[in-house]
Amino acid sequence: MSNPPIDASRRAFLQRASALSIAGVAAPWALNLAAIAEASAATATDYKALVCVFLYGGNDYGNTVIPYDQANYTAYFNLRPTLAYSRDQLTGTVLVPTAVPLDATGGSRQFALAPELAPLLPIFNAGKLGVLLNVGTLIQPTTKAQYTNKSVPLPPKLFSHNDQQSVWQSSAPEGAASGWGGRMGDLFQAGNGNATFTCVNVSGNAVFLSGNSAVQYQISTNGSVPLNAAQAPLFGSAACSAAMQVLVTQPRSHLLESEYTRVSKRAIDANAILTTSLAGAPAITTAFPAGNSLGDQLKMVARMISSAGSLGAKRQVFFVSLNGFDTHDGLLSVHPGLLTKVADAMSAFYAATVELGVADKVTTFTASDFGRTLSGNNDGSDHGWGSMHFMMGGAVKGQKFYGVAPAVASNGPDDVGQGRLLPTTSVDQYAATLGKWLGASDTDLLSLLPNLRNYNLSTRNLGFV
Amino acid sequence: MIDTETSDIRACTMPQPPCTSGAGIDNATLTAAIAATLALTACGGGGTAAPDTTAPPSSGVTPPITILPEVLTDATVSRFLAQASMGATRGEMARVKTMGYAAWIDAQFAMAPTTTRWDWLVSKGFDAAANKNSENGFDACAWRKILSSPDTLRQRMTFVLAEITVAAIDGLVGSGWKAFSAAAYLDLIEANAFGNYRTLLGQLSVSAPMGQFLTYRGNVKFNPAIGTLPDENYARELMQLFSIGLVELNRDGTPRLVNGVAQETYTLDDITGLARIFTGWNFDLAGQTTATPDFLRRPMIQIAANHETGASTFLGSTVPAGLNGTDSLKRALDTIFAHPNVAPFISRQLIQKLVCSNPSPAYVARVATVFQNDGAGVAGNLQAVIKAVLLDAEARQPPTGSAAASYGKLREPILRLSAWARAFTATSPSDAWNVGNTSDPATRLGQSPGRSPSVFNFFRPGYVPPNSAIAAAALVAPEFQLTHESSVVGYVNYMQRAVSTGIGDIKADYSSLLPLADNAAALFDEINLVLAAGQIGADNRTLLVNAIGAMPAGTDAARLNRIYAALTLVLAAPEFLILK
Repeated sequence: MSNPPIDASRRAFLQRASALSIAGVAAPWALNLAAIAEASAATATDYKALVCVFLYGGNDYGNTVIPYDQANYTAYFNLRPTLAYSRDQLTGTVLVPTAVPLDATGGSRQFALAPELAPLLPIFNAGKLGVLLNVGTLIQPTTKAQYTNKSVPLPPKLFSHNDQQSVWQSSAPEGAASGWGGRMGDLFQAGNGNATFTCVNVSGNAVFLSGNSAVQYQISTNGSVPLNAAQAPLFGSAACSAAMQVLVTQPRSHLLESEYTRVSKRAIDANAILTTSLAGAPAITTAFPAGNSLGDQLKMVARMISSAGSLGAKRQVFFVSLNGFDTHDGLLSVHPGLLTKVADAMSAFYAATVELGVADKVTTFTASDFGRTLSGNNDGSDHGWGSMHFMMGGAVKGQKFYGVAPAVASNGPDDVGQGRLLPTTSVDQYAATLGKWLGASDTDLLSLLPNLRNYNLSTRNLGFV
Repeated sequence: MIDTETSDIRACTMPQPPCTSGAGIDNATLTAAIAATLALTACGGGGTAAPDTTAPPSSGVTPPITILPEVLTDATVSRFLAQASMGATRGEMARVKTMGYAAWIDAQFAMAPTTTRWDWLVSKGFDAAANKNSENGFDACAWRKILSSPDTLRQRMTFVLAEITVAAIDGLVGSGWKAFSAAAYLDLIEANAFGNYRTLLGQLSVSAPMGQFLTYRGNVKFNPAIGTLPDENYARELMQLFSIGLVELNRDGTPRLVNGVAQETYTLDDITGLARIFTGWNFDLAGQTTATPDFLRRPMIQIAANHETGASTFLGSTVPAGLNGTDSLKRALDTIFAHPNVAPFISRQLIQKLVCSNPSPAYVARVATVFQNDGAGVAGNLQAVIKAVLLDAEARQPPTGSAAASYGKLREPILRLSAWARAFTATSPSDAWNVGNTSDPATRLGQSPGRSPSVFNFFRPGYVPPNSAIAAAALVAPEFQLTHESSVVGYVNYMQRAVSTGIGDIKADYSSLLPLADNAAALFDEINLVLAAGQIGADNRTLLVNAIGAMPAGTDAARLNRIYAALTLVLAAPEFLILK
């Protein structure tokens, strides 16, 4: 089986849509999509949002969620003696779950958060944060023997940053035309007062938020950017201001010109709506960390959520990111600071959703290119595969571990080399669980996540939310 | 706008410079050439191979590329300079018209380099100890070259190569003097911009900034006592980004398929094998300390005790045991450079960054053939490759018909600023070049020299704007990775300020425009010609000329407002932004 062709399905959609418009005959798939969107819109009287926190560069799982029971801590230390936290450093951040996590052999396990993640501990203990163990990109459930023998299809271009970012976000390598956040937007944007604000990106362009019809809207951490020439006459000339607005928003026949003016038009139209909406939204008093770009982005997400009512938004998907996780060297000097930013920004964001009264309507989750090696190079770690991630929010069934605790062993059953984890839970299962919570049906999920059909129905929902 | 009275019809072949014929080509030849042009699928062609209209190879490996006769007008030479320089100027336009394209390129090859970024930093005192732990001076030394250095083709190639073999200042850590390390890296690329790609790879592989950026400075061989392994970072990105890419390519840049499946060029084992080569390298402190930045422009040296001396196997080749670090590096780079992917992989990116986002496979093949062998048996000859890119029929003749609707590329924000600055001779009277960091998309350019967020550059050669007509047409548009709602507006606002109040003390000279400014059409046509190669067509010309014409005139203050408005409008126009 080959990787399901996203591009082909998009082309099929366009062809069908085109057939519909030209011939006026039923286009089953497109109509079905429209019907789903209408049905979702009809039922979505409440508000829900997903927030993806993407850690660009590949987060070092080994120093994020650390084996703490003595046997596994020792194994961890022996695999990365130059990089390991001391066990004493971890005593304050030991995770005490409501149910003990097990490994594949049924052995009970203990984990601690990196000390820098301490701000997340109270959220875990309050049952609002869960930990997903060893999740990564897969086409189908894959054993180590299958990996070694290449007897099942594997995700394309493993260990490559740009491609694995793309596979995480879209199920296809670089060049993908849509991602699963955007495809969720396809389902729900018809139920939103203004479709533009369905998929909102406070970071840079990411395929995650592009759907087949949903378009990501990028907003800066200070809000939408007004066009000066539209705010005041251009060098005193109202005529030039008017000409400017025509010039930059006009439809063009050239494909690249057309795409550029399409973005400009969306920017100008959205700004006109958002300026009013954000100004009228409830103020947020929760303090966000200073000098923390992830905090700045999440504060903007909180502001957008606070104005969801005036925008008529019922379902939204947000994307924020932090760069710098490619810690091939200087891991001990760089990684703790990055984790501090993540923890400070996420805990402030959770507090803001509590303040806004929407904590149980907003689910935040982390993602990254890949995990890293557990065995170190001299002072860092290299590209890996499976990793540990966090789900946070009032609806999350927290204080729990999900997935399977990986064996901490060189050449162990979960290791494809130097502590690169063979994932035991797939991104598709992670995404399906989030999508189900947002309101997607089991049928919707199969179109959102092309590899999900390779998982038994009973295993598609990880149950963390 | 089109200056037919002085037009000059030329034809030439590649790779033999220069153009030989002047005017006097008869109508029949011209007609035939135009017919051939119409047959080209050209840059918008997408997946299918364009018919190759070049002369069949007379022998062996380097078929001469016939350059179609082209009428050299102000508009065509302005368009050429938008591809081949940091921005068209009236002066360069006149030179190109006089010399012809190939001779102008030769003249650019022969130009003396200007003061290096490093020497400029020193001359301005940025090597003072107080600057060790800052980036002070870097943006200025980079912008100074971009906006003002007269060797405009060398600067363009430096800019392009620095986006393929990327080292960004944020990652130049561990020893202080980040500005000097970043400057040394750009200077190294500039020194090789008209050289050989293999030589460039060799030099950057032992450069201190690359050792810092891709973290193999201080990399140590396998230590069995504690189980530490060599850092894989450089081994991976050297192959993925700087040389061969992820999948096997045909000469024309398309993936080589086996039973319909692309073939990955290397495995994890190749990475761990190659990583062993990049051990033992460290700064050459030559008995000194890091109190001065000098070590950052000396090649790194080998610490023999840290270098892996066992055999290293990758790409089906083995570097034998016992070689020292320098020799094993040479063997490894020779192995990589011998891979058939290098020519199409690098050639296609050069075309994308200079001419168009979606070159036809035939165009890529023509350039890759020259990359592989410049006619004298040399691979990687960048002068020959530059000519092959810029003088190719697909570069020189924009396509007509349906292919025209997707031909070209989005100009990068930095090049939009330099187009304005160079067209109107912007200068920094204080020599401070205080443009600063322009990375913020909401308030500045969303791109700043030497400040790519990672080794993957500001944008990827395979970037597809999701959910767009470009995606539906199965095309790529790399520079659109920087294009979103904040950046499109932030850019226009930034340029509105730049053209009127300048940037820091950097101000343009509008003396060429002031005499035209009372005549809105004349003013617009001049700006459209120099900045946009005359590509703003009749409908928007009417829109803009009418708007500018409604502004007051008759005083210098009024004329300047007309100039500012006309510049801001042209710089915001989709026909300027997309170079066709």
